[in-house]
Amino acid sequence: MAAKRVNVLYAALAAVAAAAAGAWWAGSRIESPAEVAARTAAPAPSPVLVPVERRVLSSDVVTRGTVRFGLPQPVSVAPSALKASAGLITTLPVRNTQIGEGGVLLTASGRPVFVLQGELPAYRDLVPGLVGDDVLQLERGLARLGFDPGPIDGTFDRQTSAAVAKWYRSKGWEPFGPTRDQITNVRALEREWGDAMKAKMAALAAVEAAGPAVEAANAAAAHSSRVAAFESATRMAAQSRMAETDRAGMSLTVENERAKAVHANTAADADLAAQIAERAFIVLDPRTTETARMAAESKLELARAARERIRLEGELAVQAAEREAMMTGERTELAKAAERSARLEGAKAVRAALDARKLAAFDAKMATDRANQLAADLELARSKLGEGVPADEVVFLRALPVRVEEVTAAVGAVGTGAVMKVTNNQLAIDSSLPLDAAPLVKPGMPVAIDEQALGVRATGTVEMVAGTPGTRGVDGFHFYLEVRVDSTPVQLEGFSVRLTIPTESTKGAVTAVPVSALSLAADGTSRVQVENDGVLEYVVVKPGLSATGYVEVTPVDAKLAPGQLVVVGYKISADREPK
Amino acid sequence: MRGMLSAGVTAILLISSAAGAQAPSGLGTEEFGMSPRQLVQAIERVEELIAKCMRDEGFQYIAADYNTVRAGMTADKKLPGLSEEEFISRHGFGVSTMYTGQAPQLATGYSPAKVGLGERNVQAFKNLSPADQVAYNRALLGENTGTTFAVALETENLSQCGGCTRKAIEQIFKPEQLKATFYNPQDALINNDPRMKAALRQYAAEMRKSGFEYNHPDEVEPDVRARLAALTNGGTLPVEKMSAEQRANLRKLQDYERRVALTTFKLQDELLGPIEERIQQELFSRKVQ
Repeated sequence: MAAKRVNVLYAALAAVAAAAAGAWWAGSRIESPAEVAARTAAPAPSPVLVPVERRVLSSDVVTRGTVRFGLPQPVSVAPSALKASAGLITTLPVRNTQIGEGGVLLTASGRPVFVLQGELPAYRDLVPGLVGDDVLQLERGLARLGFDPGPIDGTFDRQTSAAVAKWYRSKGWEPFGPTRDQITNVRALEREWGDAMKAKMAALAAVEAAGPAVEAANAAAAHSSRVAAFESATRMAAQSRMAETDRAGMSLTVENERAKAVHANTAADADLAAQIAERAFIVLDPRTTETARMAAESKLELARAARERIRLEGELAVQAAEREAMMTGERTELAKAAERSARLEGAKAVRAALDARKLAAFDAKMATDRANQLAADLELARSKLGEGVPADEVVFLRALPVRVEEVTAAVGAVGTGAVMKVTNNQLAIDSSLPLDAAPLVKPGMPVAIDEQALGVRATGTVEMVAGTPGTRGVDGFHFYLEVRVDSTPVQLEGFSVRLTIPTESTKGAVTAVPVSALSLAADGTSRVQVENDGVLEYVVVKPGLSATGYVEVTPVDAKLAPGQLVVVGYKISADREPK
Repeated sequence: MRGMLSAGVTAILLISSAAGAQAPSGLGTEEFGMSPRQLVQAIERVEELIAKCMRDEGFQYIAADYNTVRAGMTADKKLPGLSEEEFISRHGFGVSTMYTGQAPQLATGYSPAKVGLGERNVQAFKNLSPADQVAYNRALLGENTGTTFAVALETENLSQCGGCTRKAIEQIFKPEQLKATFYNPQDALINNDPRMKAALRQYAAEMRKSGFEYNHPDEVEPDVRARLAALTNGGTLPVEKMSAEQRANLRKLQDYERRVALTTFKLQDELLGPIEERIQQELFSRKVQ
């Protein structure tokens, strides 16, 4: 009986289980029309509402840029002709070092390299005597530093030199004075100038002497001519006389000589006779001593010799007269030739004297010129002996002070050429703008600068927008943008920062709704759907500036107050959401 | 009768068990358990949000399309001319062996991250100044510049993402999906299978024999990444700036990566792969791609 009841219970349980399974199966597969309709019907609208706001709308251009210091420029040191070789760098500044006017950029072989403001680079040694714009900017720099360079006229004079010396000494450096070569050069010039002055004096003396020499030559020539003329005239006169005598058949000269000879012979004979008589008288006197006799003999012999000599001289004189008579014509010709020769010689002597005078004058001019030239050179060389600024001891930069951006040279390297890069202290930002945003940005616009990761905020101003895309390192689809940093609480150099440039803004707070709240009616008007006491109503509005997801709206007929809720969309049920 | 009752109850239990082994409804076959459609939508929405965020940061970012991101995902552990096994034997996971310390956009060789960003974004990045490049990647990727969206999707680890990528992911993915501990439901199902559990025990034993302390293949690559991050200050130390000691440590890590990658790959291929395939067939009636 009990087993029967248990079987009945099992059967009932099985039946219940089968019925439950069948119900479960059927329930999972059978749907009522209402269920189907509910499942397939559109979900009940669930509007997403947001409040109307009063806010300032600003349409911004947002871009990015890297902060750098402005006016990056390389610094080069020019070689100096005053120094035999370029110095070796002994000290260099570190990055970010500030260098003002008159400051020392670096030192090379124990000499400073100063910085002055100027447009022109230091391309030559600035030494006394120079004139130029580079001297002018040196003088201006000295004046700014408080060292009076005298007239600021672009001429390196003694006052400029003195100011340079004061400037160097004020910085603890010995000014760059004359070099050994310069001093040696001056000494050599002085010697040469002395020699030239002596030569000049000698030449002038020669010129002075040449005048009388010419006069003397003239006088000598005239005298010689006159003498020769006189001689010639004498000869001609003698010839004339000879010619007259010849025409008379005898030569007076010859006859004269003959007569002289006869007369002399007669006198000699008489003397001889007298001696003979005296001898005879002595010889015949027995008292006469032998010596007296010998003397008388000697006198007689002398008388005889004298008579012979006179005779011979007479004959010779006659012969000479006869020969002279015969040569008179030739002598006349000779005298004429001598006269012509004397004239020529005189003229030659005068010409030579004149030439000598010209030569002396030329020499004097040359000597004077050389002396003057040497005097000028000496003056110039002396003027350059003052303190100057070698080209490798000064660097002119356009704007000061500067900041050392990068040192490219090394200690121990040659101290000329490019040594470093400097910038000014004005922060600037290199950035770029897309093609569509570039026309909206104008120079002078304010810029909000920030870097969220660093918590940095600063302000700036648009400095420039490139006129063409693709310049200054940006690609061809962007315009270069430069922003000047006006104020910054921290050093931004090297940072990438976000730049927000308001290009258009409402004048103060306006009524604004999210852009998605705005819809277009069939008649073309803009409208927003506003909830009023649980009822959704359309309000026609006039849209204004749109920015940052909001749009300015002005209701046309109705009122729209901040805080009112507007529809921005409809929420769909979770089971139909894509996520 | 009792036998009949037992058989009936057993049949009911078997039916219930079979029903429990079925994949839950809504579980997709793609990363993070998404369906292919969901994955495409998620990628496109994330990329749009990244682009907007980058615009707000002042950078230009072109939202990468699905194909680009997918190309970045599939570029993982692949090089032209090399099979996956050859790649792994030569380069391991390509984590420390391909490490340069450079931004992924500047990579000249293997870089799934670069592929996933898209060529236009890479070119835009190259046009930036060095400082802007750093800021760009910080804005896009945060601290971990090697983990792009594509890489994070491929490794199914969104926790390493930062910057605009993370902001965008946070808006599309569920909070639990952003955690490092998140496990793909599909993988969880497979790992809970007794057959897989047994296989994983065998895997751990084989790894220990080879000198590696890993209980699951999914632990290996993250561990290598963590070791690399520790060695390179989170991937910010370029190789050329490493000290001799750091380079020696990197070389050790690269050797380790090659060995462990090859070992785990072989075990996965021979031991875990067939079992996983069987379980997937039972769950999804097909092998998951």
